[in-house]
Amino acid sequence: MVVETAPAVRRPRPKGGEGVAPHGRLRPAPARASEPEASDPRAIGKRQASIGAALQAAGALLFIGQAALIAYGIDAIAAGAGVAALLLPAGIVLALGVLRAGLEAAGGRLCHHAARAALTALRGRVGLALAVRSPLDRERPAAGLAASAIAEQAEAVVPYLSRFRPARMRATFVPLVIFAVVLPLSWAAALVLLVALPLIPLFMALIGMRAQAASEAQLAQMGDMNGFLLDRLRGLSTIRALDAVDLTAARLRASAEDLRARTMAVLRIAFLSSAVLELFSALGVAMVAVYVGFHLLGTMEFGTWGGRLSLGEGLFILMLAPAFFEPMRDLSAVWHDRAAGEAAFATLDRLSMPGLPLPGADVVGPEPRAAAPAPGVELRAVSFRHAGGTAPFDAFSLAVRPGERVALLGPSGTGKSTLLALVAGLAPVAAGEVRIGGVALAPETAADLRAGMAWIGQRPHFFAGSLRANVALGRPEISAEAVDEALTFSVLGGVTAGRHGIGVGEDGAGLSGGEALRLAVARAAVDPRVQLVLADEPTAHLDAATAAEMTEALLTLASGRTLIVATHDPVLAARMDRIVRLEARA
Amino acid sequence: MTPRQSPPAATARPRVHLPWAALKPVLALFLAERWPALAGGALLAALTVLAGMTLLSLSGWFIAATAIAGFSAGTALAFDVFGPAAAIRFLALARTGARYGERLVTHEATLGVLAGLREQLFRGWAAPGAARALLARPARVLFRLTEDIDALGQLYLRVLVPAGAAVVAALAAGIALACVTGPLAGAALGGGLLLLGLGLPYAGARAAYAANRRRIHAMEALRARTIDLVAGQTELAMAGRLPAQRRRLIAADAALAQADHALNRTETLVGAGFGIGGAALLAGALLLAGWLAQSGEIGAPVAAAVVLGTLAALEPFAALRRGALELGRTLLASRRLAPRLAPQPAGVMPLAPPAGLAVRLSRVDFRHADAARPAVDDVSVVIEAGARVAVVGASGAGKSSLMALIAGEAVPGEGTVEAVAASTLTQRTELFQDSLRDNLRLAAPAADDAALWAALAAAGLADDVRAMPGGLDARLGEGGLGLSGGQARRLAVARLLLRDTALWLLDEPTEGLDAQTAEGVLSSLAERAGGRTLVVATHIRREAALCDRLLVMAQGRVIARPVRGEPGFDAALAGLRPD
Repeated sequence: MVVETAPAVRRPRPKGGEGVAPHGRLRPAPARASEPEASDPRAIGKRQASIGAALQAAGALLFIGQAALIAYGIDAIAAGAGVAALLLPAGIVLALGVLRAGLEAAGGRLCHHAARAALTALRGRVGLALAVRSPLDRERPAAGLAASAIAEQAEAVVPYLSRFRPARMRATFVPLVIFAVVLPLSWAAALVLLVALPLIPLFMALIGMRAQAASEAQLAQMGDMNGFLLDRLRGLSTIRALDAVDLTAARLRASAEDLRARTMAVLRIAFLSSAVLELFSALGVAMVAVYVGFHLLGTMEFGTWGGRLSLGEGLFILMLAPAFFEPMRDLSAVWHDRAAGEAAFATLDRLSMPGLPLPGADVVGPEPRAAAPAPGVELRAVSFRHAGGTAPFDAFSLAVRPGERVALLGPSGTGKSTLLALVAGLAPVAAGEVRIGGVALAPETAADLRAGMAWIGQRPHFFAGSLRANVALGRPEISAEAVDEALTFSVLGGVTAGRHGIGVGEDGAGLSGGEALRLAVARAAVDPRVQLVLADEPTAHLDAATAAEMTEALLTLASGRTLIVATHDPVLAARMDRIVRLEARA
Repeated sequence: MTPRQSPPAATARPRVHLPWAALKPVLALFLAERWPALAGGALLAALTVLAGMTLLSLSGWFIAATAIAGFSAGTALAFDVFGPAAAIRFLALARTGARYGERLVTHEATLGVLAGLREQLFRGWAAPGAARALLARPARVLFRLTEDIDALGQLYLRVLVPAGAAVVAALAAGIALACVTGPLAGAALGGGLLLLGLGLPYAGARAAYAANRRRIHAMEALRARTIDLVAGQTELAMAGRLPAQRRRLIAADAALAQADHALNRTETLVGAGFGIGGAALLAGALLLAGWLAQSGEIGAPVAAAVVLGTLAALEPFAALRRGALELGRTLLASRRLAPRLAPQPAGVMPLAPPAGLAVRLSRVDFRHADAARPAVDDVSVVIEAGARVAVVGASGAGKSSLMALIAGEAVPGEGTVEAVAASTLTQRTELFQDSLRDNLRLAAPAADDAALWAALAAAGLADDVRAMPGGLDARLGEGGLGLSGGQARRLAVARLLLRDTALWLLDEPTEGLDAQTAEGVLSSLAERAGGRTLVVATHIRREAALCDRLLVMAQGRVIARPVRGEPGFDAALAGLRPD
């Protein structure tokens, strides 16, 4: 039996000390030696990302060399040099450009690889956390929520790690280096840049405070708009039935226009922040240009360390001025990546939180074994407690003999479905013990024991895919012939004649309630190792004829096997060997 | 269990044909929505670029000219410094202003276009055929829809505007150079910029197209597998397949990562191409300036302007690097949405039956697309005005199809359907994220509050609504969240009561309600139906008992038509679900 590495699965300690846990009780999964997945995914590939960001910053700095050569070239032109004298500078400008492109490409790739690896690690971690959380945990995230978090929202991690962080590094270093290059030539020009740059973050912060809230509000409203459309599309049959297509279309339009007006009010302020950045960078360039011009003309003699700038030096400073502001503009362009990335990390962290564990969920491939004889089931003083503290039953005991057919009968809320789930090991008991065929249910044994059980739920989940795939569920030991037999047994073959092999729609669209239950029966019948059948309200939501049919199918399936049925259907219960009545607790 | 495999890594790359034609309806919608704003945004973008180019080349010219003038005190005094200096400051402000305006106008135009797009798409999906397709696979289609709308929103912002600005920059640079030196050099620079600026993104879009498609499929697989993992956890745990499902999740992410890497490679290559091409243009501009200066055509100031102008002309092309990838996504989205943007065929309403009849079906056949056997098979039914008829039968017997035919939602393959205008109480209660008032007024837009309260009272919901905070203004959550199942159903009944039609089609009106609530709903329906014709599709006894006639269906045919009082009627009732 292989146990995959997993974060230590913790079980909430039962309240009140009841002494030493009896042998075989569900214990917390043993702690594992190495837990690489438990480390912070933010740290994955950090080294690689730092190298990538450094390469990108180095590439950006090569522009200084290009600018120097271009300035030198124009200076040479002014001095009357011929085109031959420009060949070398032009060649080096090209060579530096190629090198720069190469560095930026390599750096970008490194950053992307590192960020993507972090995303993969995050998804793996969340997938594991979802898999090992008991279906009885009421705080378990809903499927749709988990899907949109793992799929779309998690994507925001990549731009955050691969674009924002390198941009931040460039914004930190490149202006400093350019300042250091300009300063020895002209302290006045350097001063202009120095004054303009710190003003930018200041103004951005001032406007940004409002803009940040504004852009979040805008994002939320865009989400609302999509939600509005989806909400109406989900109810399309009603809208058509009420003849309200035009009405709804007009409302949709009106609310989108309304959103547009409100969003624009927000954006007017939000864009001011980048306008300030633009303004200061444009004014910075203009002031440097005007200063250098006046200086060269002799009107402003000050600003250098003695002597006058040459034409080349002046042009060099001019070209560096936009490059000085460029990293800051890049950073502001990816600013929103940070908020989205942090939000994604927070959501995924929340989904990775441990909850009520599903015992044995992380155990891979129980050893295939021959069919054992039908087991007996023993519940000894079993208690269970939901997260909210409600306990449907307390110290419940029950013994089911091998091959016996037992109905747990009671109104809803008596915990009969929960009892059934505890027998299947879908959640740990708070106290007491479950033994199946003499083996105590524990995290180490749960997967093996479940291999000998089948679960027939009242609303079986349909996996996207064909009917046959939905019966086999990808179990490698189940042959195509076995699937055929199971389909025939559950009378699904006839019902679905003509659409064999074709897909079952999402949520089982295209299957009626009866067909859905037949599918669950087929899933159970297909596996010869199954010796214990657990059925949860199998006849709820069925018409009388179908319910009778399903009762017969269930009894046939149970022949030679142990069967426990949780139901409030007295007709079904009467067909069992024994009825155990559960009373509602006060 | 998606049988779809991720595509093998090393397949021969087929020739990619970008589906440009799919863009047509999208662009047509864009233009019809608000072409002045779209054009204005592009114009402002071009102005921004031009101001940036002029700023840098004028500054270069200014510095070189002042340096030369500064050699002697005489020329320095004669040199007009204030004109260029003012122009430089003006351009700096103009650039900022144009950029701000560009961002406002382009975003406003995009939001406006998206508003129109949403409305059009809604109408497109509301067409009868499309509505059914939507209901068969809602989650996946709806997920795609938001992604696609998002992608189309990017078309203008990330592709069209930067491309337009880049073309303007290239043309301006070319024309400016042509003015200085003659058409040949101008054409060379403009052509070089265009070739580089549009050719590279185009090549990138082609290269990214296949990866974009793989990415979308992998993303849908990841979503579906996550949903299967969470919603199907019990089934997977019982089958010992939880670890396997986790591996499938990881495999979907691996396929996604592969597509991501391919896209990033393309983006990087386009970026590197811009870098190298830009450096070559810059080196070329320097040599050209030197050559022109050598031949005495220009002086150093113009040479500086030419080189710095080229430097600035490269800037707008950088935005196209992302645009190249967006274009692939946009084309895919357009191709998927185009059918819904095309004009929709009007639904066919059933013919009016002769006086005294509410419904008349004559030898009607109806078959779902791809179905092996017809859902309704040679059915003839006559329902007199005022009659109450229950359609019963096992699931899949054809009850819902029969109701759809009467409502005009389905068009018969053979035979004729005649029916008076009907209102349907659909099987699923669908309430919307809106106020209670607007949920009700969906049925009767003109109804005033008094009429709404009357309908609520008749449905037995008035007291509940009065107790809610806000009353009629109370907002419902997704799927009517905030109401119990019984309250939601009563709200749906109230909606039906607001519709003044002579025929009510009730599809399992009390499914999923407890006995007491169901009794209440049924009695208010029976009471308010008055002389209307009722057709009830059901498999619950209490609902069928409302009617005086049964149509028993099996495999698409009507196999019995017992009337109250006949022994067959009670036998058929007894076979239905008791609760």
